Amino acid sequence: MKKGVLKYRTSDKTVNAVCACIAIGLFLILWYWGTAATKLGMMIPGPIEVLQAIGRGLFGKVGRHSIIAHVGYSMMRVMVGFAIGSLVGVALGLLMGWYGIAEAIFNPLFRIIRPIPPIAWIPISIIWFGLGEDAKIFLIFLAAFSNTTLNSMAGAKSVDPEVINAAKMLGASERQIFTTIVLPASVPSIFAGLQVAISSSWATVLAAEMVRSSEGLGWMIVAGMNNNDMIQILSGIVMIGIVGFILAIIMRKAEEVLCRWNKSGE
Amino acid sequence: MSMEQERGIESSIIECAGVCKSFKTPEGEHQVIKDFNLQAKENEFLVLFGPGQCGKTTMINLIAGFEKVSGGSLKFMGKEITKPDPSRGVVFQSTALFPWMTTMGNVEYGLKMAGVKKEERQKRAQNYIDLVGLQGFEKSYPVQLSGGMRQRVGIARAYCNEPKVMLMDEPFGALDAQTRYLMQEELQRIWEAEKRTVIFVTNNIEEALYLADRILVLTNCPATVKKEYIIDLPRPRNLVSPEFLALRKEITGIMDSTL
Amino acid sequence: MKDNKKIKYLCISILSVLAVIVIWYICIDVVHMKPETVFPGPVKVFRSFIDKLSSKAPDGATLQAHLWSSIKVALLGYALGAVIGVPLGIAMAWNKWVDRFVRPLFDLIRPIPGLAWIPMFILLFGIGITSKALVIFLGALIACIVNSYTGIRQTKETHLWVGDVFGATGSQKLFRIAIPTALPMIFTGLRVALGTSWTALVAAELLASTKGLGYMIQQARAISRPDIIIVGMLAIGAVGAVFDALLHLVEVKVAKGMNVK
Repeated sequence: MKKGVLKYRTSDKTVNAVCACIAIGLFLILWYWGTAATKLGMMIPGPIEVLQAIGRGLFGKVGRHSIIAHVGYSMMRVMVGFAIGSLVGVALGLLMGWYGIAEAIFNPLFRIIRPIPPIAWIPISIIWFGLGEDAKIFLIFLAAFSNTTLNSMAGAKSVDPEVINAAKMLGASERQIFTTIVLPASVPSIFAGLQVAISSSWATVLAAEMVRSSEGLGWMIVAGMNNNDMIQILSGIVMIGIVGFILAIIMRKAEEVLCRWNKSGE
Repeated sequence: MSMEQERGIESSIIECAGVCKSFKTPEGEHQVIKDFNLQAKENEFLVLFGPGQCGKTTMINLIAGFEKVSGGSLKFMGKEITKPDPSRGVVFQSTALFPWMTTMGNVEYGLKMAGVKKEERQKRAQNYIDLVGLQGFEKSYPVQLSGGMRQRVGIARAYCNEPKVMLMDEPFGALDAQTRYLMQEELQRIWEAEKRTVIFVTNNIEEALYLADRILVLTNCPATVKKEYIIDLPRPRNLVSPEFLALRKEITGIMDSTL
Repeated sequence: MKDNKKIKYLCISILSVLAVIVIWYICIDVVHMKPETVFPGPVKVFRSFIDKLSSKAPDGATLQAHLWSSIKVALLGYALGAVIGVPLGIAMAWNKWVDRFVRPLFDLIRPIPGLAWIPMFILLFGIGITSKALVIFLGALIACIVNSYTGIRQTKETHLWVGDVFGATGSQKLFRIAIPTALPMIFTGLRVALGTSWTALVAAELLASTKGLGYMIQQARAISRPDIIIVGMLAIGAVGAVFDALLHLVEVKVAKGMNVK
């Protein structure tokens, strides 16, 4: 692994932590002071009000459900769509990267579809699938699918040809090379794709819920907008940030475990 | 007639007659190998010795079956070589290990592909891991091993399929001098323990003289055989004996005139 | 032999696209598997496209007008995000005090998708250009910061030592060594940012707008005109692809000699 120059020594870690606390503390104080002492407070609620609202709503009621339930609705949609989308994406991407004929057939179609952001599919998916879960899962499927396909394809294409020669020399058949060499060699770039896919899926589910839904975090913030309720919007945004953060962490941990061979032993 | 044929097969495992190889480049045909003749006999340690980019690797790729000849004939045990085969093991300069597999995983890979049962193939793989001196590192990934150790895995991996011929493409080229000497000694020991026909490519004269039964000195691109030396010094060889030094001087002289 | 293969694959590619269009045509226009109010055929979509170039019905503007309105907002927000994000990312990676104080704040907003701010901005600034541009700005900003930061961090220690040996000043080391090293990554950031900007814009227009491609397809949904939706989606995709291609051209020109794929 290449070592960057600007890495800190471990003794700097405490300084970093202190600075981080100061920065976040200053931000909160500024936010608090700004809303408490100036006219800004008429438009934006302070940090304490937002925290209280989250505390109240977590198991209480925002709209028809608790915040936890809203998180659950959004997550369930993401999980189903992401699982299907990434499975199909990885399979198609690897096939396209490894078999020239698969690339010739699917790549032009993929290239036409890919530049259309999943969010732009919202109106047509409502016409096709109605207002229920199917439309949302379809959108998240699209978000996960296009990112994983691209990265899996790049991964399969960049397998070291010498490693493939080594497998041939050891007697592996075409199919064995695909399953035992191309697939594992592509895992790091598949994961890079999955990282992008999960954050894109998260953004897409919010957009879908904002356009048409009666539950979920996206609904929560858009309902806040319709009721002129800034506290609800901000508490929704905070929850969105927390979930987004947790999703990213889970993906990173999974990558660490599955790609252990890819890192130099420290 | 049949007697002669039989003897021919027995005595030369690889037979290479008038082999040519050229690549298409934007500037036109680029000839890398020209009229190359070579015969490798059973259990012989044959070294292809030549300058920098003279097409030695291409020759190994042709014998391995990774690439096809443009002209001439290239036979393995009497049959034209068309594709890679487990009976011709290759040790790569870059090692080309499978980085997501442990030492054991790498060494047993060939047997696994051939459908050998787990217990049996691990026993056989362990045998070769021991032979190259890597006991205790069975569960290490390649990134956790040093350069020399990685190349030991590469050798064990090729050996484990019990090939007729071992093709070695500058296997120690990327190692530091100290490790290189050590690996040369190790390879000599492994080869004495498990005799195989070896075709070994190098641009290091000491390495060539230390290991070879026979050295083919190649010309620079396009590569062809310039001169052949039979090395019958007793093994293990003394790198500073007068005979060794004299041969070294002679071959280096020929090389210089090629450049 | 390689050339032959290329031509063969090119033919397969063309056939594949044609096959999809023909199947689409047969399913809708010949067999009538779905009514045109749900899934219009290719002929209908093409006719709507031609119509929409001159007709203002049903949403009050022609396709070009919507297109131009969207592009204007997207570029405004994107340019702001790039102009602030790239230098900020570089500063964070180069100066450890900036890093120590700015990065924690940055890490706070990073996991929030840009479009989650839409409701808040609309309440604060109305549904005009400001709130849309702000959403795009945030999306572009994050992508630019992340990539410039990572790019600068990739500078090799030995390269900076070479700078020291020749007596380079701090700013010379930054501009002559670190930034050129980071250039490919910075360009990756700019391309990613353009993609997210475009997406965020469509989302903002879907939710609250009176013009733009997102508004156009949302209106078309309300009156069940999937043909116009598909025209709009294809236009959105085409603009995204053109932007990406343009940036790639600049990238190849500017980052010549660097490892640009």
